[in-house]
Amino acid sequence: MNSKRILIFGLIFLMMTTTHAFASDLLSGNVKAQGLRKQDNILVYLTKTPDQTTPPQEVFVLDQNNLTFLPHILVIPKGSTVSFPNNDKVDHNVFSLSRTKKFNFGSYKPGVSHNVTFDKPGIVELRCDLHSEMISYILVMKNSYFALTDKKGNFTLDVTGLAPGKYFLKTWHEKLKNSKMAIDLAVAAGKKLTINLKRGAPGVLYK
Amino acid sequence: MKKTIFFTSFISIIAVITAVQLIMPITARSSQKKITSVIRGVVASQYGMVADARVRIAGSKDFTLTDVNGRFTVEAPLFSSRTIKITAGKDGWFNNSVNALPGNQNANVMLFPIPAKDNPNYRFISPAVCARCHNTLAKYWDKSKMAHTTSNVKVLNMYNGTDATGRELSGPGYKIDNPGKDGNCVSCHAPSAAVSNGGAKDIEKALWSPRAEWDGISCDYCHKIRKITKTNNTPSLFKSHLKRQTPLKGNSILVFGPYDDVVNTVMSASYSPAFDKGNFCAACHSQIKKSDNKDTWNRKQVYTDAEWKSFDIGDDSVIPVQTTYQEWKTWQNSLPADDSNKGKRCQDCHMSWRKEMLPYDNYIIDGQARNMWGTKRDPQNIRPHHFDGGTQIQLKTALSMEIEGEINGNILDVNVFITNTNGGHWIPTGDPMRNVMMVLSATDSDGKVLKKIKGEELPTWTGIGKIEDGNYAGLPGKMFSKVLKDKKGNINVPFWQATEVAADTRIRPKTTIKLTYQFKIENPDDEPVAEAKLIYRPFMKSLAKVKKWESNDILITQTAW
Repeated sequence: MNSKRILIFGLIFLMMTTTHAFASDLLSGNVKAQGLRKQDNILVYLTKTPDQTTPPQEVFVLDQNNLTFLPHILVIPKGSTVSFPNNDKVDHNVFSLSRTKKFNFGSYKPGVSHNVTFDKPGIVELRCDLHSEMISYILVMKNSYFALTDKKGNFTLDVTGLAPGKYFLKTWHEKLKNSKMAIDLAVAAGKKLTINLKRGAPGVLYK
Repeated sequence: MKKTIFFTSFISIIAVITAVQLIMPITARSSQKKITSVIRGVVASQYGMVADARVRIAGSKDFTLTDVNGRFTVEAPLFSSRTIKITAGKDGWFNNSVNALPGNQNANVMLFPIPAKDNPNYRFISPAVCARCHNTLAKYWDKSKMAHTTSNVKVLNMYNGTDATGRELSGPGYKIDNPGKDGNCVSCHAPSAAVSNGGAKDIEKALWSPRAEWDGISCDYCHKIRKITKTNNTPSLFKSHLKRQTPLKGNSILVFGPYDDVVNTVMSASYSPAFDKGNFCAACHSQIKKSDNKDTWNRKQVYTDAEWKSFDIGDDSVIPVQTTYQEWKTWQNSLPADDSNKGKRCQDCHMSWRKEMLPYDNYIIDGQARNMWGTKRDPQNIRPHHFDGGTQIQLKTALSMEIEGEINGNILDVNVFITNTNGGHWIPTGDPMRNVMMVLSATDSDGKVLKKIKGEELPTWTGIGKIEDGNYAGLPGKMFSKVLKDKKGNINVPFWQATEVAADTRIRPKTTIKLTYQFKIENPDDEPVAEAKLIYRPFMKSLAKVKKWESNDILITQTAW
């Protein structure tokens, strides 16, 4: 009987701790950006976190179609490889002269693709000099503790494996001023955070 | 009985297949799942066979050249529901075509030479006529600056010395400084007037001239240009050679263009390779001023020997007013053969597709005309006529800017990097009135402005007064512009008063300018912010004020550290 009680209590304890562990692995909230029609594509990320050491295996894709880079914002951990297929009907010349990563494929035809590995954190502005409307950003992060907001400004950041402690929660968007919020992971996890942003000059990802 | 019918049918099918194979020389490339036939013929003229004519199936991307005997071979689909239009074109000849069936071995095309002479009494036709078929092309052309160069208020104000309200003696004016002279503005701002017999040479009169006909650079003007050559007799050092002729047949008109496969009864089209070359734009996007007395100026202080040599505009007495073409050419000349930017031309960027034009179209003509004369093309082989330049769309990605900072004790070090990302010429380009400014500010966490210790400042002529009103004189920053100077030492003078270029700090293609600044921080533990803005200004503030022009700065980009 006693052993049964111990087992039940043990299971209840395990369920409670497991539930707590799930809750603390996610950091969620909402971003309200002044003057933006859509609240999506705002980067929310943590700093003062350990750098990622193993490059991800996944190959990310930045497509070209209808004179548009898709997605407009691609966030990747450093060391990631990105593929740039031309799925449009006209040639494109994808290039970057950003100091984070410089490359230039030259004009290439529909059906052709090129790959680039991004090994340094920072902002990469992509352009096509044949089509001046085409612009996109690749945000190369030090690790995987980041998320992009959805159309309503909601975000959920997976902090699995991150030790409890104090970090900075930052934001980046091409038309908004960066924000920086000090958080205690143990306190912030499980709560819904609110971040208010204003239009202005975007800053660097890492100072 | 059934067996007999089956046997007869089988034999008939075999016979038909055999006959087809015997009659048509088939090239069956089953490995590519594309069965083709071969069409052969010759391109001839009244003078004999035509070598090096470009022959293709109308609308297809690939073409072949005729050999010395005018012979050609093209691959065509074996099965086609209609006859195949084989076209031929060559510089100096009207395009022509022949309809052929797959496998035709005698698809001969006759070419006729374009008229040898120009006709200065020719009346340019209205863009409205072109728009009947080329509706979309004409619509975007009409939105462009090219379409309204003659009635451009700023041009007329600078020409007459008036302001936006029409008040006379308001600021600089060509006619004020050069009474009795007409100048040569019309050669680019009203070109059809400039080249017509009896046409106006005064731009004010050009719009009302019976010979000037149309505002701006019209369809018929550009498409009457057969080639561009260098000369010493024009302000641009380039000359457009026109062939204004109507009609060898019916009411069709001679039209030059980049297509060798346009053949219809409405236009007598002639292929001209000039339309795919960068120097097609040179006749207007280039302007020099020759010194009356061959007075030289300190050219080496502004341009390197390599740049000047590549400009190829003359000795050190020549003042480069507008050098957009030369800037592009200098950039292209500097690139190694295997550079990914080698070979890019003006047309690639200024006549490319725009999102508002999507979905892609396969035709350059619209409406009923498309059904009658349309040639289906790959969108890649179509050049939309928007001619964007100096517009918000173009400027937003023309330059990029990055910033980095570092705090060292009581000093904030800031580096700003500005790159000409998309421009194939220097930025800003064109009229020297245009300029680009980088405006930098550094503040502490309370928003208090930090004192600059080191780094350039913006000149007085960026405007003295409130920052909110676009006045940036004395602020940390950098001006990118060409500054013209006169004999008395006045700067930013109009080109006709200029005797030298005082500075040319514009940004060369694909190059990055690094600007270094230092600011003093009172509290080393503070978190200061440095913010840089990159602003395009189409004309100087002082000029805008005297001319009563609306100031319309464009924020290209901004960034912060």
